[in-house]
Amino acid sequence: MGKRVYLDNAATTIVSSEVLAEMLPCYNAIYGNSNSLHSYGREASAIVDRARDRVAHAINAAKSNEIYFTSGGTEADNWAIKGIAHAYSNKGKHIITSTIEHQAVLDACKQLEEEGYDITYVSVDKTGLVNLTELLHSIRKDTTLISIMAVNNEVGTIQNIKAIAKIAHDYGIIFHTDAVQAIGAIKLDVQDMEIDALSLSAHKIYGPKGVGCLYLKNGIRIDTLIAGGNQERGKRGGTVDVPAVAGFGKAVEIAVRDMTINQQKLRSERDYLLKNIQEKIEYVTVNGHPHQKINGILNISFDMVDNESLLMLLDMEGVAVSIGSACTSNSAEPSHVLKAMQLDNDIVKSSIRISFGKNTSRSDLDYVVEVLEKAVSQLRAISAVTKAGRK
Amino acid sequence: MYSKEVLERFKSPKFAGGLRGANGSGKSSDEKYGDIVKIYILVDEDGVIDSAKFKAYGGVSTIVAGDIVCEMLVGMSLEEALGLTSQDILEQFENSIPQDRYYSAVIVEEAINNAVEDYYKRKEREEKKALKEM
Repeated sequence: MGKRVYLDNAATTIVSSEVLAEMLPCYNAIYGNSNSLHSYGREASAIVDRARDRVAHAINAAKSNEIYFTSGGTEADNWAIKGIAHAYSNKGKHIITSTIEHQAVLDACKQLEEEGYDITYVSVDKTGLVNLTELLHSIRKDTTLISIMAVNNEVGTIQNIKAIAKIAHDYGIIFHTDAVQAIGAIKLDVQDMEIDALSLSAHKIYGPKGVGCLYLKNGIRIDTLIAGGNQERGKRGGTVDVPAVAGFGKAVEIAVRDMTINQQKLRSERDYLLKNIQEKIEYVTVNGHPHQKINGILNISFDMVDNESLLMLLDMEGVAVSIGSACTSNSAEPSHVLKAMQLDNDIVKSSIRISFGKNTSRSDLDYVVEVLEKAVSQLRAISAVTKAGRK
Repeated sequence: MYSKEVLERFKSPKFAGGLRGANGSGKSSDEKYGDIVKIYILVDEDGVIDSAKFKAYGGVSTIVAGDIVCEMLVGMSLEEALGLTSQDILEQFENSIPQDRYYSAVIVEEAINNAVEDYYKRKEREEKKALKEM
């Protein structure tokens, strides 16, 4: 196989060697059930406790017991939205979210709609920022929950989370944020930002797949997710996946520890690639906020080029990028995020997401530009749309 | 999702591009997905399609459908071309096309019909012009 370059780190990342080293002993040396009373159990339990402490510390949770391990971000989002909505249904059945949330939030909201809840989907502007005036105006007496993602997974726009949380609390409403793309990219301090509930996932930050957590501030009620055991304070029963949790704890610790250096690296990769693309390829548009965005994601449109065809041609040369999010990219439908940002249809249809990793090299990026230039030119040569003056 | 054969055709379509001397062309698009396809045909004096090319702004399925159909069109009479259906095109994919991409075959079928119609219109105009000049 020829050269391969992975630029889909917003979909998932490689498990780092530091994380793997943390996990491996939990598969054989320390294999007890963390709920058992004997020494084997206590050893496993100590590992789970340490992971919980690490996650709590990384987001400045007041207490470690506010971290509930889950199977990942999707489960955490589902649990937060439906679990909180149900627990406060006697107060009201109105929830506010945005049009650009991850499918996990949107589909959980859809389920609640079927149960008779009212959901308001607040719009975003062309840069992907949630319209705060609209959010404020949509608050009602029966609103119980506001859920707005911290960082969008397709364009990388960073929301004004602290301001939104403050608005929510001014009206006595609970605030949840999906921070799956935010951890390790921006500083997250649940106390300072007044966040009541927050979802995280391990595999976006060089941790294993299938594990994440929900941070839930003590005092906030939530329905039990899985009955059948006293794990996770009785809210989510089932034997804890100790290796996964250990890996998650380590991954979060590293993501926060190395945030500054990683962000510098990602920014330099993004700027380098963009500069080279703009030098070599005409008619490109960068989507998202011009500066209020994370460094690891570059959402870019190549006029007159269909994004699926571009993705496939790049893939044939070993370069992995994505269209929209991995959770929806098997569908031929245009990205709901870019559509919600009211971008032109052609911009949406021709956009790809390039998401950088901390191990991407300059020579990898040079190769990507070379392949990209060739693919774009090939597709433009046969494109049924043209632009006057194009080379 | 797509078979190796479909992807090979996508990577190197034999019939992609413009067609010098084309005497019929037709376009069609899908409103929901935004794909656009253009078919160019060169029809000889006996009403047989001598060559066909396509241009596409669309995904793998639209490019491959365009390429497949151009290959089929060469040597066909106009009546045969008009008889081609999206089903005929889909069959050429040998089950290697996701259901939500079936629209590609539909727009290609429409583009063929439009190209043949365009050919007849051009011919009629030319005939009228020739009559005037006589």
